[in-house]
Amino acid sequence: MTKAPGRIGEEAFSASPTEGTGSLSRRRTLLATGAAGLAAALPRGTSAQQPQRTPPAPDRPRGQVIVGLSQEPTVFNPLMPAIEVDQGVWWNLFSPLWFIDPDGKFVPDLAREIPTVANGGISADGLTWKVRLRPGVKWHDGTPFTAEDVKYTFDLINNTSFRARTRVGHNLLQDITVTAPDEITWRMERAYAPYLSILSLTFIVPKHVLGAASDPNTAPFNTAPVGTGPFRWGSRTPGDNITLTAHTSYHGRGPFLERVVFKYIPDLTVLYTQFRTGQVDYTGIQGISPPFVREARTLRGRTIHLSPTASVESISPNLEFGPLADKQVRQALYMGMNKRAIIDAIYYGLPTPTESFIPRESWAFNPDLPAHRHDPAAANALLDAAGWQRGSDGIRAKNGVRLEFANSTTTGNPVREQAQQLLMQDWRTIGAAMRINNMPAAVIWGEFWQQSRFNSVMVGVNFMLGSDPDVTPRFHSGGIPAKGGRGNNNIQYANPEVDALLVQGATQFDQAARRATYARIQGIIRDDLAILPLFQYAVAEGTKEGLIGYKPNINTSSNCWNIREWYWARAA
Amino acid sequence: MISYLVRRLGQAVLLLLIVSMVGFAILYLAPGGPLSQFAAGTDMSQEDLDRIAEQLGLNRPLPVQYAEWLLRMLTGDWGRSYRDGEPVLYVIGSHLGATLQLMLTATLLAIMIGCWIGILGAIRRYSIFDTLATVGAMVALSIPTFWFGLVAIYVFSVELEWLPSGNRETVGDGSLLDLLRHLILPASVLALVETAIWSRFMRSSMLDVVNQDYIRTARAKGLPEWQVLAGHAMRNAALPMITVVGLQLPTLLGGALVTETVFTWPGMGRLFLDSISYRDYPVVMGILMFSATMVLVGSLLADMLYAVADPRIRLG
Amino acid sequence: MSAAAPAAAPTAGLRVLERFRRHRLAMFGAVTIATLTLACFLGPFLLPFDDTYIDIMQRFAAPFGGAHILGTDELGRDMLARILMGGRVSLLVGFVAMAIGMAVGILVGAVAGYYGGLVGTALMRFVDAVLCFPAIFLLLALAALVEPGLTSITLLIAATAWMDVARIVEGQIRSLRERDFAVAAEVLGATDRYIILRELVPNAVAPIVVAATLNVARAILLESYVSFLGYGIQPPVPSWGNMLNNAQIYLTSAPWLAILPGIAITLAVTSFNFLGDGLRDALDPRMDGR
Repeated sequence: MTKAPGRIGEEAFSASPTEGTGSLSRRRTLLATGAAGLAAALPRGTSAQQPQRTPPAPDRPRGQVIVGLSQEPTVFNPLMPAIEVDQGVWWNLFSPLWFIDPDGKFVPDLAREIPTVANGGISADGLTWKVRLRPGVKWHDGTPFTAEDVKYTFDLINNTSFRARTRVGHNLLQDITVTAPDEITWRMERAYAPYLSILSLTFIVPKHVLGAASDPNTAPFNTAPVGTGPFRWGSRTPGDNITLTAHTSYHGRGPFLERVVFKYIPDLTVLYTQFRTGQVDYTGIQGISPPFVREARTLRGRTIHLSPTASVESISPNLEFGPLADKQVRQALYMGMNKRAIIDAIYYGLPTPTESFIPRESWAFNPDLPAHRHDPAAANALLDAAGWQRGSDGIRAKNGVRLEFANSTTTGNPVREQAQQLLMQDWRTIGAAMRINNMPAAVIWGEFWQQSRFNSVMVGVNFMLGSDPDVTPRFHSGGIPAKGGRGNNNIQYANPEVDALLVQGATQFDQAARRATYARIQGIIRDDLAILPLFQYAVAEGTKEGLIGYKPNINTSSNCWNIREWYWARAA
Repeated sequence: MISYLVRRLGQAVLLLLIVSMVGFAILYLAPGGPLSQFAAGTDMSQEDLDRIAEQLGLNRPLPVQYAEWLLRMLTGDWGRSYRDGEPVLYVIGSHLGATLQLMLTATLLAIMIGCWIGILGAIRRYSIFDTLATVGAMVALSIPTFWFGLVAIYVFSVELEWLPSGNRETVGDGSLLDLLRHLILPASVLALVETAIWSRFMRSSMLDVVNQDYIRTARAKGLPEWQVLAGHAMRNAALPMITVVGLQLPTLLGGALVTETVFTWPGMGRLFLDSISYRDYPVVMGILMFSATMVLVGSLLADMLYAVADPRIRLG
Repeated sequence: MSAAAPAAAPTAGLRVLERFRRHRLAMFGAVTIATLTLACFLGPFLLPFDDTYIDIMQRFAAPFGGAHILGTDELGRDMLARILMGGRVSLLVGFVAMAIGMAVGILVGAVAGYYGGLVGTALMRFVDAVLCFPAIFLLLALAALVEPGLTSITLLIAATAWMDVARIVEGQIRSLRERDFAVAAEVLGATDRYIILRELVPNAVAPIVVAATLNVARAILLESYVSFLGYGIQPPVPSWGNMLNNAQIYLTSAPWLAILPGIAITLAVTSFNFLGDGLRDALDPRMDGR
């Protein structure tokens, strides 16, 4: 989910001996200083942390790292439907043509260079692409990697009988031609700017293995994958762990570890406990739950890293549902919510408040959106003026429509449920009745969400397409599934101006021009309050002392992206 | 005996058919589906979701899907998991070992300790020991297992650092000692409840027997008390326990679910929970049929063992 | 479990009462349940705090330290108020789920036991089939069908608790039916309904009462498991189960959040189990001679 190009402010924290279990006001002052303030106050490496001089990487793979994950990776064909944890494993088994580094720069991987208009890789009209590949790359079984594999990957994604995860972008490909073993060209049906970013998350699969299977959906490859990545498939104990071993002839830097174990620990409390007791070396996806972070920072021999993700938490209203269809109601609700209390108290100040659906690290982020203010009096006045009259029970109504709605989120997330209850009380004071109606993930994201049967949901999603700010599926009126659309516009947002801007942004290749387009889009959506934005998530992840090389990357959907460069600082 | 067996098996097949129909209907009619989890947080569009639902055949009418599933089942094909693409039988098999290991250890512990407590309680009825055992058993049966498990982890792994806080083994270790260290905590937590059940059963069974005529006769004959108890009472008191074993067999699957969750034990309980929250229909149906079969086999086995052990019973 | 002898004689009733009174654990259970029930249903009216009022500045106040006797929870709500209101919900779920389960179980069992034949076989085979589902499967699968809430969770738990009763009742009635007084009633021209309700069911009452008591205990425990597995009662309504579940993450930092509802559940469930055990002994006529 973390895929925005941009800078990363990684902050490593150490225990502060003076910070006891102070009162809330004291805690709030500390939190208000912000994460950066804390980090600045405490120089790196004060207690049991990375030493000043980073020890060199070993000359051959040594040792192992146990990655604790709260969900189980089960999909190992990188083109099939999967979630983030699966992608975390893919980064270690496979390679894309290029990837985006933590600073937002494109870095060639299987490609020799990034195709641009300047170097002739992309034609001026954006329609013809030519990619030259890195020579000498070998699959895990020793077979050389060639342009045929890239062509096969594209063909497979568009193969009608194959259960490809998504064809967005790939379905524009035409005339894919292998012009040399290390060169491939294709044409695009129309210019599509986000494609470069989409390819940074598209992993190349081996033609000689997968192509030999009768049905790619059930090929043996899917449970014993072969890639070009830094680690090769070891073994899998279903429900427990996946073990990968070093691929010594990897084409890039590393790997420095003999083994990587992805350990499935289905409960965040247990995951944290096992990190605490030393049974996992790194807490991967979902990291450390906010209530544990304070304590985690006091642990000896553990480092807690706070890194932003591209995921934005919001109250997403169904814009066709009764009271929520009224923009003034949404404005009043937004003013009525005590965002600071949610972020500071319930999320312990970890996430950053936001007004946009685009993460602030992205080049497309608009920093000039009006800031939220918590003002229940103004909210009340706005509703009074708009004709929403209070009834005998204190709940407002207008033309027979009560200001009453349900809010849903997935069950089993106690922190989010606390935020819901706080909002419920906040909104009660402005005469709006919110009811909590949570459901298991398989239910809430089924028809209920897909066909827009909800009133409102509390959800954290990466709105962007890969790392590209194109939000056409989310906000274009043609993407409303409940109205026959094919995108992800489940909130049923429709604004002709935004529609036009979205079409414009997807076909612009000049970044300055695109930035202006997406700044406008963010401005309009903030003004319409199509979503009530809460904050941009920051994930707290922990590593064991002596583990070197961890480098969070908002652009790779998983911070397991560079395990190839991790190693232990052990005395040789 | 043969005709009895045939009739019981016939009944079992009928039951399995009903179970499969009810289970299938509940599962497929429930809102949501295996693709839901991709709908909110990934790069998949509604177009992709609809296409894959079509490719998986999820849009066809329910009876058609059931008929197809049933026909394949009859040929021994349990289908493939939606989650990881592995055959259902392999998926079940790969989780069964962990559950068996945990359950058998806990059950053995429970039988040994529980029977001992039960017999002693029955012999010294209303003694302090008996009262304490009764109270203890009742409390053990009343504590929410997950709560007890979490407290146990907190005390023994986090604070005292004696035992690992979960998992079946240290990856890459593989020694017996390592396995045992991981087994102690979850097995003890699970055994707590089981011990309580066994001690209660054993106590009442023993009480029934102690007052039977033949025991009085044995006592009247002047046999020493221990010989009366060991020779006559215990053998007969153990009879009903056979039924208990048979009936406990199916709890092998469901019974450890909570414990497996708390201790991240990769067994059937976890698999079931994950499969149902993913709506992995083939695996959920597979587990359901598997456990229903276990229930039926368990009760049949219990009846037959009982008949073999107690000559007064004739199956017919 | 033995068949109860035809009751009626006042001396027999007194003997049951006397036996029960002597059963100290059962008495303890009965008194505890009565106290808990009273406290949960009256207590909230006497408290100055609302169980859902959030005061974020007062969160995680430790017990016995201020205005909040049992401290406050993760949102600054009064723990005592929440324990009592949670008790209302949990006890209500327990009792109502038991009552529904009993009613369905008795109905199915009585009909199957009395009529026997095709109807009886069909009904009991259905009971067998439902028993083939692991209880947790039934719970989770059915939970997915309905909107989570107080009513639905009660029905769900009831749906997993009627089969045992049906079996007990069916067995009892089938054996009682063959006995003299049922045969006599039939000869005298009593209607089916009369025979079932007036003659057969009362005679099966002993095991039913015991099963009912134990089922309340089971239902309270199941509510907490269902919460643990994420299908529990929706916030902000408290129940012992969801309080316990939400407290997991604060086990080290605010242990009272987990300890209080844990004790409440254990106490209530133990009491019902004691009560059931005592009733079993008291209602068993064989106990007389001992």
